[in-house]
Amino acid sequence: MGAGARRASLGARFERHAPYVLVAPAVLIIVALRLWPLLLGVNFSFTGDGERNGSAVGFDNYLELLQDPLFQGSLRNVGLLVLLLPLAVAIPGMLATFIYLRVPGHRVFRSVYFFPAVLSPVIVGAIFNLMLAFDGPLNALLGTVGVGPVDWLGDPDVAMFTVVGVQIWATFGMALVVFLAGFASLDATLLDAARVDGASLARTIWHVIIPSLSRTIQFVFVTTMIGMLTSMFGLLYVMTSGGPEGSTYLPEYYIWIQQGQMNRPALASAASTVLFVIMLVVGLLQISVLRRTGGRT
Amino acid sequence: MKQRILWSAVLVAGLALAGCGSATRPTTSASDSEKVAKLVVWDWKSGEETAAAYIQKAKADFAKKHPGVAVEFVAQPFDQYYTLLGAAIQASKGPDVMLFNGGGQIRDRVAALLPLDQYVAEDKERLAGWDAFSQDGKIYAAPVTLQGHPIYYNKTLYEKAGLDPAGPAKTWQDLVRDCGAIKKATGARCFALGNKEGFGIQFFLSGLGSGVLTPQEYDDWIAGKRDWNSPNVKRLFALWKEAESSGLNNDGANSTALFNDAFAVVQSGKAAHIIGLMSDIGHWKDFGEFLGADKVGVMAAPVVTDGATPSLPYDGGIGYAVAKWTKDPRLAADLVRSLTTTDALNSFYSDAGAIASDTTIDVSKAAPAVGTIVSQIKSGKPALHVALSSKTLDLMGRLSQKLLSGSATVDEVVKQLAASDKAG
Repeated sequence: MGAGARRASLGARFERHAPYVLVAPAVLIIVALRLWPLLLGVNFSFTGDGERNGSAVGFDNYLELLQDPLFQGSLRNVGLLVLLLPLAVAIPGMLATFIYLRVPGHRVFRSVYFFPAVLSPVIVGAIFNLMLAFDGPLNALLGTVGVGPVDWLGDPDVAMFTVVGVQIWATFGMALVVFLAGFASLDATLLDAARVDGASLARTIWHVIIPSLSRTIQFVFVTTMIGMLTSMFGLLYVMTSGGPEGSTYLPEYYIWIQQGQMNRPALASAASTVLFVIMLVVGLLQISVLRRTGGRT
Repeated sequence: MKQRILWSAVLVAGLALAGCGSATRPTTSASDSEKVAKLVVWDWKSGEETAAAYIQKAKADFAKKHPGVAVEFVAQPFDQYYTLLGAAIQASKGPDVMLFNGGGQIRDRVAALLPLDQYVAEDKERLAGWDAFSQDGKIYAAPVTLQGHPIYYNKTLYEKAGLDPAGPAKTWQDLVRDCGAIKKATGARCFALGNKEGFGIQFFLSGLGSGVLTPQEYDDWIAGKRDWNSPNVKRLFALWKEAESSGLNNDGANSTALFNDAFAVVQSGKAAHIIGLMSDIGHWKDFGEFLGADKVGVMAAPVVTDGATPSLPYDGGIGYAVAKWTKDPRLAADLVRSLTTTDALNSFYSDAGAIASDTTIDVSKAAPAVGTIVSQIKSGKPALHVALSSKTLDLMGRLSQKLLSGSATVDEVVKQLAASDKAG
């Protein structure tokens, strides 16, 4: 009897601790491999480079970042990416709509549109380097219709738009698939009703398709934003090297240059911390948006 | 039920412990500190087929001196090399011996390196190019190749334009006149220029510098006394702008990569001249394969201002250095010496197409361009851009693109460069 009670209390104790034990591996991994290095990185950003290596310098690195026109330019480019985001979402949205509405050849388009998504950014960059070269095929084509050559990757006013355009081309396939999945849950009777009422294509899209797909659109907004902020390094590296005149720098590229080329790891850490804060703010905003729409439906 | 909870708890705890274990650093064994059994070398060359014989000979030489010490070459991708090295330096842990580019790349990192003066004293006469690997009078690496910026020209285009391929222009005026003749006869531009990465200006500055600055100004520049406001320094940058605006360069220089699109422009005969390299890539061997080895000429910098004396700009190209944290400095320095024996460097020169640092190698059977380059080494001087910090070079790259596109003036550019240069 006494032994049985003891066993029961032992079991109860295990039962009480089991949740902690079960989440322990995940917590330990996150703390040891994510949070701890993050703290080390932030701590490192308050130390100096070169001769001042290892000594505390306070906010010197952050002040230097604020005064560096190159870093300012990279933050401006982040702003530009945010402004171009609606375009990056609208393009796959429109194309998915046409595929859903069964334009002639829609099966072919469906697979062709997805094709670029399987290419690595380095290959995409190399292809477009050839296509967009000053004496390349695109300018030759423009020449035949009498439009002067454009230095797609050599003109500081054009280059960032060129790279973003290529990024959209390379990644819209994934968003397209998400949109098509969203269409699968669209109520077809609504479309039929609109058709019976004689609604034009534009009105059908505006009044039927967009409201029905609002959650899908929000999801694509979030994932495209993350993609643009975190995965353009490969394209920049291959296509422009941050140039011309530093016009295509993004924070990631800046960090890489400072760490690898300029031997300024502490300054790079400071830039990483700034990028982390930006991503945190963007992420929290997106979570709140998702949560709000989640609560509504 | 209880049994199941107990077992899963044990399983999870075990996994967690294993996870922690793999995240911790492996402990070093005690034998490391007693006797060094292995040296690790980092570079980006040893993986290349053309360097195989060189590495083989260096290894054999070292094995003869230190049997029982293994040498491991780790070939890193060049793109990532200094990033990886930066991480190793930060941790004070990594290779014993490592390859460096001369100039800014090694000077920025001398704090992590061992001065080699006492070990390489015997090699000082035989090898050239030490300056690029020295800082404050101390040597930090032994040169393997020489790197410099000769002006190459296409003799076939000269012949087509009715010019004497053996007597290229000696002054800038004559060069511009010759280029006019070449363009008229063949349609080829004067210079192949790639400035997408901002490297074009570096080659231009060094390749033409000795024709613009006076010998005194040139030596002062190398010694660190740089007067960015002097008329001749401004003239150099004005010349850069002028060459573009008067149509001497190929179109779209700011979107043309120097490596290797600009080289391809010369190789395909679309431009008559290029300021190239001496070793590795974009040099006599590369151009010779397309144009014919005897059709590649090398000319001295054309004289732009009176009183300038053209000289070949060159420095130590790549060289091996020893890390400060190596356990046995003498052993590591011996490996560096094995990597710079005449025998090994001779292989490097003949297989990889590099001008080796060893001045005793016989080049009489090589292509005519090599003979011209080697004959100018004695009177040559360090290249102007190598004396600048990587930060200033990076800035110069961006500013030079602005000069080409017309969005900055020469005065603005030299002002910014002076400020960056002064800041170190």
